[in-house]
Amino acid sequence: MAKHRGKGIAAIEYPTGMNQNGDPSQCWIKVKPDGRIDVFAGTADIGNGSKTIQAQIVAETIGVPYDWITYDNSNTDSSPVCTGTFASRATFVAGKAAEKAALQVKAKILEIAGKELEIDPADLEIIDGEVVAKGAPQTRMSISDVAAAATWGHGELITGTGAQLKPYAAIVDPETGRVDSPPHSAISYAACAAEVEVDDETGEVRVLRLQQCYDVGRAINPTQVEGQIEGGAMMGLGLGVLENCYPYYPSVEHRGGAFGSYLAPGMEEMPQIDTILIENPSQDGPYGAKGIGEMANNPQPPAIAAAVYDAIGVWITELPITPERVLRALEEKAAGKHEPRREGKKVVFDEELSVNTVSSGGIRFEVPA
Amino acid sequence: MKVVGARIPRYDGVAHVTGRTTYVDDVRVPGMLWAKALRSPHHHAAITKLDTRPAAELPGVHAVITWEDVPLLEYGHLSALGIPADEPLLAKDDVRYKGQPIALVAAESEELAAEAVERIEIEFEERPALLDVRQAFDPEAPKIHQWGNWYPHFEGGMDRRQIRKGDVAKAFEQADVIVQGVYRPAAIEHAPLETQVCLVVPEPNGRLTIYSCTQALYFSLGVVAAHLQVPLNKLKIVGGTTGGGFGGKVDTATETMTSLLAMKAGRPVKWRWTREEEFLCSSTRAPWHMEIADAVTKDGWILGRKMLTLHDSGAYARFSPYGLTKHSFHHTGAYTIPNLEFDGYVVFTNRVPTTAMRGFGVTSVSFAVETHMSRIADVLDLDPYEIRLRNANRIGDTSPNGIVYTDPSTVPTIQAIAEATGHELSAEFRTMTNEPRTGEWLPEHLVAQLGNPEEH
Repeated sequence: MAKHRGKGIAAIEYPTGMNQNGDPSQCWIKVKPDGRIDVFAGTADIGNGSKTIQAQIVAETIGVPYDWITYDNSNTDSSPVCTGTFASRATFVAGKAAEKAALQVKAKILEIAGKELEIDPADLEIIDGEVVAKGAPQTRMSISDVAAAATWGHGELITGTGAQLKPYAAIVDPETGRVDSPPHSAISYAACAAEVEVDDETGEVRVLRLQQCYDVGRAINPTQVEGQIEGGAMMGLGLGVLENCYPYYPSVEHRGGAFGSYLAPGMEEMPQIDTILIENPSQDGPYGAKGIGEMANNPQPPAIAAAVYDAIGVWITELPITPERVLRALEEKAAGKHEPRREGKKVVFDEELSVNTVSSGGIRFEVPA
Repeated sequence: MKVVGARIPRYDGVAHVTGRTTYVDDVRVPGMLWAKALRSPHHHAAITKLDTRPAAELPGVHAVITWEDVPLLEYGHLSALGIPADEPLLAKDDVRYKGQPIALVAAESEELAAEAVERIEIEFEERPALLDVRQAFDPEAPKIHQWGNWYPHFEGGMDRRQIRKGDVAKAFEQADVIVQGVYRPAAIEHAPLETQVCLVVPEPNGRLTIYSCTQALYFSLGVVAAHLQVPLNKLKIVGGTTGGGFGGKVDTATETMTSLLAMKAGRPVKWRWTREEEFLCSSTRAPWHMEIADAVTKDGWILGRKMLTLHDSGAYARFSPYGLTKHSFHHTGAYTIPNLEFDGYVVFTNRVPTTAMRGFGVTSVSFAVETHMSRIADVLDLDPYEIRLRNANRIGDTSPNGIVYTDPSTVPTIQAIAEATGHELSAEFRTMTNEPRTGEWLPEHLVAQLGNPEEH
């Protein structure tokens, strides 16, 4: 009886935005008389940090400090359309709408400032909350003064709207699955290496370390994207070795109805996680960002499965890789029953799980030799 | 860049960590009633009797609703995309999963609402359940859905999602080795800390204010408006702060039913699911059944792939046809495989309907194709990093549905992990890039893969 260590790797890709598109997000912004900025969007923050990301994008785009931004996503009366926070779309799609709205606000600020300073707006820029003449930085006007002038002098509201929509790519060829245009907004990539320790007496798999690299396009907020990646890794770990609604699937018996009887990962399961970010910018995302929120729990299960094989020489392809499954697989291996069937050039694993074994004449998986 | 790229603290971080964020269940309004649901105790049964009068007659009960109270009983999650609906908001003639809502009560307290639910008179005639997707196609399988046991409404009236690319028969003929495997990731819970919860306040002007934990305010707005058959200005969804969703709160699980109760009672109504309801009655990530056979050369080129996917949708379709389509579009993972034959079915079973969850449709296929890739490397005694780099998608390669990859990062992400782990790559793999394939990286079987070079 011993503990065995093993390593495995997985590489994945994942689309940003709803599959086949057609998922708008919109934003509108107004400026208070002292230049402070109110952002309205319908994007729910589910813990993914989209409030922060959109506020950052607006502050950066206009050229004001982050703490000038108030963000309101609280209701459907004041906030415009956002399809929702799913499909790894909040940063990319809703963030792009915020960027577009902020560009309109910036243009309006420069227009008012141009009138006040009697300078062509094209010769003005915004730096740290101040409108500054290009090449003549002593000529300047704070955005607070610009907003006051707009409100009390020009009788104008500084506002901006933005909408991001990639139209619905409705046509999928039913025979071939071909589409005419990309069914996504961008694609992100990741690779993950897992190191595990498997106890061949108890069957327990412990994930010791995950080393992960994600192409995020652009890290709008590195702390938040690292948080997404590490939190996602824990969810992937749960998928890999712990969680299961139906412990005897396909049976529906013995479902866990409480946290005490459903095994979600906790802090004690947390391995060392190393995160490497690559910034290969997307073409259309705000500041080159891509969406990585969902894919963060995708590469760990296969990397863990490969590491378990490396450790104890058995492939477990039904998730999660529980102690029971490990011990059963080790027993089968000891009895010489775990080997794939070899026939000609075919190497056939997992035949006992196949429709070819379980279905009674309903469906078959035919593979040419 | 000063703000973008900066490690700025969360906008709502202080409120979260000091417990001062207002979630839906923190909102209390005067005169608020509490809801409880009568749920199916059976996996599959006909409803032969339903009498809610004993519940309605209980003092302190202000409203009871059944399917008869819903203006539009069936509205699908994907109805806006033209996909037909199959799931009644409240069960009508039959129940198809344990936990399916049949009737709701609004009463002065949760205890009283629960007592009233107990008084509802209901009788069932149990029917055989279908639970194994692999047996759904069998002639003797119980018939459990009005459309048959699998979803029949893909484009062109197809009963499956197909991908066909290149010449699979030739690929398998040319292969040195064919590796076959079966992959079955489990159903899992979203397990948010905040269970499904909703508060609906009927306003004096005839509008409804709906406090919702939805992940998708406008999607839920559309779903409620459709069921209620009212214009959007009759409803105001208040939300935007969700106590954990992970996909499970895209389903509009509580908002419509609570709205109907509030309208009928003329009082605010809150419905909050118990932890047990959240685990046992809320939708889950789908379990998937995937079979892969790859045609491979002995030096590790993947010439072709045959794949069969059975997506366990549970009792109704919800978002599953969308999830399966997305799954099919990504079934080659981060690699370029020129010859493909994919068949995927959305299969109905008598379990809680499955729905979107983080990585929807792709988490499953990532597990399958990556574990399969590791197996192929082992069967052929090849380096697991190098076989991935060899097949990695490159600029100009095309996806399963014919889209040209413009800037894939498979190569640099794998190289970065090789460096981080100290895994030594041979020079050719250490120096390769995602640039368009040439020379030895352009074997004959991939020539046809290249898109129009003008497009890159």
